[in-house]
Amino acid sequence: MNKTLEEALEKENQVAANSKEYGAESITVLEGLEAVRLRPAMYIGSTSELGLHHLVYEIVDNSVDEALAGYCDRVDVIIHIDNSITVIDNGRGIPVDIHKQQKVSAAQVVLTILHAGGKFDSNSYKVSGGLHGVGVSVVNFLSETLRLEIWRDGNTYEQEYVRGLPQYPLKQTGKTKKRGTKITFKPDHEIFEVTEFNFDTLSQRLREKAFLNSGIRITITDERNEKAHEFFYKGGIAEFVKHLNRNKTVLHSQPIAFSKDDDALSIDIAIQYNDAYNEIVHSFANNINTVDGGTHLTGFRAALTSTINNYAKTAGLFKKDDEKLAPEDVREGLVAVVSVKLPQPQFEGQTKGKLNSDVKGQVQSFVNENLGRYFEENPAVAKKIIAKAIDAARAREAARKARDLTRRKGALDSASLPGKLADCSEKDPALCELFIVEGDSAGGSAKQGRDRRTQAILPLKGKILNVEKARYDKMLSHSEIRTMITALGTGIGKNDFDIAKLRYHRIILMCDADVDGSHIRTLLLTFFYRQMPELIERGHIYIAQPPLFKVKKGRSEQYMNNETELAKFLMKKATENISVKIQATGFEYKGADLRKALEKLADLNGYLDKLERRLHDRKLAEAMIEGFAGTQGALSARESLKLHEVFEKEELLQKVTAALETAGYETVLEVDEEHGTFEIAVTRSRNNGRTLIDWELATHVEFQKAVQLYGDLKDFSHPPFLIQDNGNSVIVESRDALLEHTMGAARKDLSIQRYKGLGEMNPEQLWETTLQPEKRVILNVQINDAVETDEMFTVLMGDAVEPRRKFIEDNALDVKNLDI
Amino acid sequence: MKCPICKKTTVWEGNPDRPFCSERCRIIDLGNWSAEDYRVETALPDTEEKAEIPHE
Repeated sequence: MNKTLEEALEKENQVAANSKEYGAESITVLEGLEAVRLRPAMYIGSTSELGLHHLVYEIVDNSVDEALAGYCDRVDVIIHIDNSITVIDNGRGIPVDIHKQQKVSAAQVVLTILHAGGKFDSNSYKVSGGLHGVGVSVVNFLSETLRLEIWRDGNTYEQEYVRGLPQYPLKQTGKTKKRGTKITFKPDHEIFEVTEFNFDTLSQRLREKAFLNSGIRITITDERNEKAHEFFYKGGIAEFVKHLNRNKTVLHSQPIAFSKDDDALSIDIAIQYNDAYNEIVHSFANNINTVDGGTHLTGFRAALTSTINNYAKTAGLFKKDDEKLAPEDVREGLVAVVSVKLPQPQFEGQTKGKLNSDVKGQVQSFVNENLGRYFEENPAVAKKIIAKAIDAARAREAARKARDLTRRKGALDSASLPGKLADCSEKDPALCELFIVEGDSAGGSAKQGRDRRTQAILPLKGKILNVEKARYDKMLSHSEIRTMITALGTGIGKNDFDIAKLRYHRIILMCDADVDGSHIRTLLLTFFYRQMPELIERGHIYIAQPPLFKVKKGRSEQYMNNETELAKFLMKKATENISVKIQATGFEYKGADLRKALEKLADLNGYLDKLERRLHDRKLAEAMIEGFAGTQGALSARESLKLHEVFEKEELLQKVTAALETAGYETVLEVDEEHGTFEIAVTRSRNNGRTLIDWELATHVEFQKAVQLYGDLKDFSHPPFLIQDNGNSVIVESRDALLEHTMGAARKDLSIQRYKGLGEMNPEQLWETTLQPEKRVILNVQINDAVETDEMFTVLMGDAVEPRRKFIEDNALDVKNLDI
Repeated sequence: MKCPICKKTTVWEGNPDRPFCSERCRIIDLGNWSAEDYRVETALPDTEEKAEIPHE
C-alpha cells in the first residue's frame, strides 16, 4: 500500500475517531476517490448507459463471488422509483471488525479504497470475478448516496456515504436473525449522462449470472412498473444454451455439454446447433462476460474446427479427399457457452472484455477429447452437425464465385460499356429500350434495322458445352452475364443493385421461336426473376414477338405471328371465290357460311385426331361419332337428347353399334357397373384386344366437341361435294378431300416462309415486324409469368428426366398478351 | 412460394431477398450463375459449329 493512502486512511481514522463531520479536507486526501470521479470511464468503461448498468453488476458480482465461495444462494436486485438500486444477498455479510492497518471497519475499507475488496487478499476467494476487479468502492465514489446495511453475527450494522464519503463510521444499530449484505445506491447525476436503468438490460445480465452459477437464485424487481423476474437454473450453462435456442429449430435436442472442476482451471462448455446461419457464442471468465473473447474462446474454436474435421474425414463424410471445413463453416448455427474459472485471471482491452491468461492449450485439449468422444458415441448428431457445416462451406464457395459478378472493378462500371453493346444516343432511360438478341447474326440485323436514337442492341449467344459423348449443354456464360449487368447499369447483389441506375426502361428479350430460343429465354427470365426481381415488378422486362411466318403474294408481304393466325388467314383466302354444293341436298355454301363450315371441319379433324390417339383407330373414331351424331345416330332419336341418356338406354346405344357394324366392327353391348350405364365393347379386327366405348370416354372434351361439330356439319357427312372455283368445277368424295382441296387452292399462288430463326430476317424485315414500336407486338412479363418460368427452369435443371422431356416437348412459355 | 435454392417456404411481400428465403440462398444462386452451373440440354449443333465447342 502506498504512503499517501496510508496517510489518508490514518487521517480519516483520526477524523472518524473525533466523530467530526467529514469535510472538504478529507476529499483532498482521498486520491482514489478523486481519480475515479475525474476519470470514471477508466474504471467502469463509460458514463453512458453502459457504465451506469456496470455499477449494478459490480455489486451483484460481489454477491456472486460469495455464492461461488459457497456462502450465498440468493441475490435480490431492486430498481426503486428514483432509479436508485438495492442489492441484497444472504452471504456472510461484509466483515465489520476494525481493519488492523486502516484502523477503520473492514467494510469501510472495502467501500473507500480502490481494489480493497475481499478478493484483494488472494486467499479470500479461490476464484473471483468482480467487474473489472475495481471493487465496490468505485460504485460508492460514483454514487450520490450509498447506504450500507450488514447482517452479521446476529447484529445489524449500518453506514451511509455521500459521493464516496462516509457520513459516520459503521455502527451497530440492532439485532437480527438475518445474514448478508444490503447496499442501496443512487448513481450520481453529476457523473452519468443517463441515470435511468433499463429493466431488460439488467434482467438479461442477471439471467446470465444465474445460468453461469447453477443453484444461485437471482431476482430482479422494478418498483417503477412492478415488473419482476426470478432466475434459478439447476442445469447451468446447458440450460443457458437451450434458452438461447428457445425460438430456434435445433439440430439435436440435447445440448452437448461437458465440464471439469479443478482448482487451477475449471471449464464448462455447452454446445447446441440450430438451423440458422449466424452464431451465438458467449464466453466467460470467472463469470465476467468476455465480450472480446480471449484465450479460452480461441482454444474452444480451434478444437471445434479440428474435431469436426477429424470426425468428418474418419467417418468418410467428405466427398473429396482434400475437402476441409473452415472455422467459419463450423460456426454457422452454433450456439455455445464457454465458461472458465481460474485464480487471478488476466484481462486486456479497453473494456477488459478479453481474457489473456494462458489457458488456450488446456481448453483446446479438453474440448478435443470430450467432443471427439461425444461424436464417437453420438454419430447421428455428429452427422447432422457436419452436414450443416458442409452446406456452409458450399455457400462460402458460391459466395466466392458470386463475387466475380458483383465486384465493380472497372468492367461493371457503365463508364466502360461492353463492346458488343450497340448503345442508343438518347440518355433518358425512360425513353430507351434494350433488345437482348439471341445470336450474332440476328444481333447484326437488329443493329442495322433499329432506331439508333432510342434502341440499343445487345447480342447474346448462349454458350454450348459438350458434356458427354452426344450431350450438349447450353448456358449463359459468365462473361455474357457480366456484359448484361454492365449494359443494364444497375449493378448486382444486395449492396450494389440500384434500380435508379437502370439505363433502359424497356428490356426486350428477342429469341428464336424454337426450343433453343425458348431455353435461352427461360434462362434469361429466370436470371432476372431471381437476381433482379425489381425489373419484373416494375414492368421493365418484355418479350419480343417476331413473326413465325411470312406470307407473300406477288409483291405484297404479310407476317403471321403463329400457326393459328396463319390458318385463319388461309381459311379466309380459301373461301373468297369459291362455292361448295352438297350433291345430295343441292344446298350451296359460299362466303362467310362456307368459311365457318370449313373452320368447323378443320376443328372436327383436330378432335378426331385426338380421339384416334385414344382409340388407336381413326376409322373406329369416325364410325363411333357417326353412330352418335350422324343422321341415323343415337342423338337424333329425339330433340335435346343428352349424351348420358344414350348410355342409359340399350336401344339408343344399339344405334351406335349399328353404325359400327356397318363400318365392319364386331360389338357386344354390356353393362357398365361402374357408371350404372351400358357400354359397347368393340372387338377389333386386327387384334383380339377390346376397345370400350363407355361413359368415361364420352366425358372427354374431344369426344363431346367431335359429336357437337359432327352434328353441326351433318350436310358434310354425305359426299360427294361439288366445288366451283371461278367457273372450274371439281367433285370431291370426302370431307378430308374437300378440306385438302380448298386449302391447297388457297396456298397455290402464295409463298409461305416459316422463320426458323431471327437470323433469317434482314434488317428491314426485323424493323418492320419486331422493332418498330408502332407495329410490333411485345409482351410485358409479369411476376406470375416469371414464377412459372422459374418452375420450368427448375424442371429443366432437375434430375427428373420425364418432366424435363415433357417440358421440352411442350416448349411453351405462355405469357399473357398485355402490351401493344 | 418456395425458395428456389433451399425449397423452404418463403414469402414475396416485404422480403428483401425475394424470391429467396435469405441473402445466403440468393448468393448461392448468383454463385451458380457465375460458375455457369445452370445449363439446359440442347440439340446437337451443326457439324461446323461442333468443332469449336469445348469439351468439359
